[in-house]
Amino acid sequence: VSTPHPRAADVAIIGLGAAGGIAAHVLTKAGLEVAALEAGPRVRGRDAAFDEIGNDVRNRLSRPKALHEAPTWRPDDSTRSAPSPWPVLMVNAVGGSTLHYPGLSARLLPWNFASRSRAIERYGPSAIPEGSTLADWPLGYEDLEPCYDAVERVIGVSGAAGNIAGRLDPRGNPFEGPRQRAYPMPPLRRSGWTEMTAEAARNLGWHPYAAPAAVNSEPYNGNLDCTYCGFCGSNGCYRDARGSTDTNVIPRAEASGLLRIETSARVVRIEVDATGLATGVTYVKDGRELFQPAGAVLLGAFTYENTRLLLLSSSSAFPHGLSNNHGQVGKHFVAHVTPHVFGVFPGRRLNVFSGPWSQATCVDDWNGDNFDHTGLGFLGGGMLSASHELKPIAIARGPLPRSVGRWGTAWKAWLASHAQSIAAVTGQFDALSYETNSLDLDSHRRDPYGLPVVRVTHRLGPNELRGAEFLRDKLRLWLDEAGAAETWWTDDLPVEGRHSYGGTRMGVDPDGSVVDSFGFSHEVPNLGVLGTSVFPTAGGHNPTLTLQALAWRTAQRLADAWGALANQAVA
Amino acid sequence: LTSLIPRESAILDAFSARLIPSDDNGPGAREANVVRYIDLALAGDYRAHRMAYAEGLRAVDDYATATYGRGFCELTPREQDAVVAAVESGDVAGFASGSTAFFELLREHVLEGMFGDPAWGGNAGFVGWDLLGYTGIRPVWTEEDQQLDVVVPPAHTGLAELRAQNIRSPHEGS
Repeated sequence: VSTPHPRAADVAIIGLGAAGGIAAHVLTKAGLEVAALEAGPRVRGRDAAFDEIGNDVRNRLSRPKALHEAPTWRPDDSTRSAPSPWPVLMVNAVGGSTLHYPGLSARLLPWNFASRSRAIERYGPSAIPEGSTLADWPLGYEDLEPCYDAVERVIGVSGAAGNIAGRLDPRGNPFEGPRQRAYPMPPLRRSGWTEMTAEAARNLGWHPYAAPAAVNSEPYNGNLDCTYCGFCGSNGCYRDARGSTDTNVIPRAEASGLLRIETSARVVRIEVDATGLATGVTYVKDGRELFQPAGAVLLGAFTYENTRLLLLSSSSAFPHGLSNNHGQVGKHFVAHVTPHVFGVFPGRRLNVFSGPWSQATCVDDWNGDNFDHTGLGFLGGGMLSASHELKPIAIARGPLPRSVGRWGTAWKAWLASHAQSIAAVTGQFDALSYETNSLDLDSHRRDPYGLPVVRVTHRLGPNELRGAEFLRDKLRLWLDEAGAAETWWTDDLPVEGRHSYGGTRMGVDPDGSVVDSFGFSHEVPNLGVLGTSVFPTAGGHNPTLTLQALAWRTAQRLADAWGALANQAVA
Repeated sequence: LTSLIPRESAILDAFSARLIPSDDNGPGAREANVVRYIDLALAGDYRAHRMAYAEGLRAVDDYATATYGRGFCELTPREQDAVVAAVESGDVAGFASGSTAFFELLREHVLEGMFGDPAWGGNAGFVGWDLLGYTGIRPVWTEEDQQLDVVVPPAHTGLAELRAQNIRSPHEGS
C-alpha cells in the first residue's frame, strides 16, 4: 500500500536529534545524500522558552509522538506493567531532545570502557554481581577521543580541561581521560553557589571542577552566548546559546543541499529485502504511508524507540524483529539512579533560581573506580553535581523537610522564609545491566497507530541500592560542609528514565550484542544504530556527548565504507 | 468557567484555599485564582482528569456532609482542614483510585496554579512568585546578580509581560 517516495537517498536517518543531527553533518560533509525522517516539527528554541508549565510540567515538546507512547514499567515479568513512575519523555522536533537538554557534557572516564575487566583485575571475579551482564565496550576511550574532540568543536562545549595529553590541570577534572586539546570555550561563569560548593568540596579533599557544558560561555560559531536566564533544562533557549543540534550541525548540513528533512514523518518500519539488507523505511505523514528508499539506514531515535522500531520491523528473514535473530534486541537495559539531596541555608539567598542547570560544580572523586571499592559491596559510582536552575513550581512541590508538612499555614510560612535558601545536589549512579532488566513490547498498551508501546522490566539490584546510597551519603556530606542547617532526601531512590541505555548493545559477539564496535548491526550490515541504546554500560556522566561521539564514529565509518556498502545494497 | 460547574468550582476553591491559605504570609490559592488555572487546564491539556475532578469533588462534599452534616464549603476552616487531611491520608471513600491519589493530583495542580506563570491563568498579581521571593522571568542575570545574598527584587515579569517587552533574539532582527 506504500507509495514509493520519488527520490532515493544514500542514507535514511530515523530521528534528527542529538545523534541523527551529528550523523547528517558527517555524511553530508562526505558528499552523501541524506533523507532525515523526523517525527516532530521544526521548533525554534525561543518559541518554547521561559515556560515551566508548558515545558517542565506539561511536556509540550513531546506532544507530536513521545507523549502518546510513553513506555510502561514493571519490576519483574510476573507483575503487570503500569505507567512509568519516572519521567521518560523526550522531544520530537528537529534537534530532538537537545532542544531542551541542559547540555552537561563530560566525557566518560577511560575506566567506563573496560569496567568489567578492570573490576576483575582489581577486585577479583567475585566482584561482578550475580546476574549482571556487565561488559567491556568493544572500543577504548582512546578510540573515541578524536570523535569526542570533533563533537566538542562542532556543537561548542564550554569547559576547563583537566588532562591535556597527560598533563593534569587542577582547574579541570583531574580524573578525565587525556584529551588532545582544550575545550573550544572557557567554562561557564562561576557564581556564588558554584564557588561555595567548590570550596566545600576542596575542604573535603575532593577535586571540584566547573561542569563542561554545551552552552556557549561566549559567542561561538555565529551563535550567541548564554545570559544565565534560568530556563535551560526542559526549555528551549531563547537565543540559541545552547549547542542544540538544530542550531549548528543541522542547518549546516542543510546548507550543503544534501540533507532533505521530512518533518512530522513517523517511521513505522525498517524494510529489508530477501537477502536481509535494509532497503529503506516506511513512514506515515499526513495520514499517508510512504516509503523512503535508501542504500543504508541509521536508526537514531531515543533509546526506547530504537528497540521498539526493531521489534516492530519483523519480516520472514527476521521473524522476531529486525536484527534480532540472536534474541539480543531489548536486552541489557540500564538507567541511571540519581539520588538528590536537598539542603537549606537559613538566612542566605543562594540565587539558584537563575543560570542553566549545567552552570555547576562537579566532582568525580566518587565516579568510576576513582576510589577503592574494597568492602563497599558495589562497583562503579557517579558524578556529583551542584547545579543552578531551580524553578518556582519545582521548589514548591518539594520535597521539603518532613517536619514542614505539605500544605497549610505552617508549610506556607516555611516556604516563604526559605524558598531562596534551598539548594539541591545530585548524583548519577552508573547502574549495571542485568539479565532480568530489559525492554520489550507491551501488548496491553498501544499508541494512536495501534502499535504496542515499550515495556520496561527493571529492578534495582543490591549493587545499585548500595552504590546510590553511597553517593547520597557523599551528597549529604557535601551540603553539610557547605553549611546547610538541614538536609533531606526522598526515601525512594529516583531512577532517571531519560538517562536510559541498552536494548541494542554494542559488542563483538552477536550472541551478546546487536551492533558491532562501529554501531552496525551484526545481522544487517547496512543498518546502523545511534544513541545510548548501543552503550554497553551507562557510565557516571550525562549521556549526550558520548552518544554524539559514537554517532560521529558510526557516520564516519559509513562514509568511509560507502563504496563497498552501496555495491552490496544494489547487488 | 469553561469546564467546571459552579458547585465544583466552589468546592475546589474552598479546598485549595486550605492547601494554600491566605494568612500572615500573604495571599493564598484563592487570591492567585488557582481555580481559573485548573478550569482552563481541564478544558485543554488536562482533559483526561476532568472525570476525576467531578468524582473527587463530589466525594469530598459527600464526606463533609456525612461527617458534619454540612457541605465542604459550609464548614469552618478547622473542619475543612480535617477533611483535607482525611482525603490526603486515603481515608475517604468514593474515589476510583483512592482519595490519596486525588489529593496528590489536586495538590500538584494547585501548586501549578499558584506558582506557575500567570499566562496560564493562575498566580494572579504574581502572588505566588512574591511568596517565594522569585523575581520572575529575567532573561539576563549578571555576574553580580548571581552572587550569594544579592537581592534581585521581584519584577513581575511573566510570559505576557515579556512578549509585551518584545524580547527577541538579535538573530531575528526587528
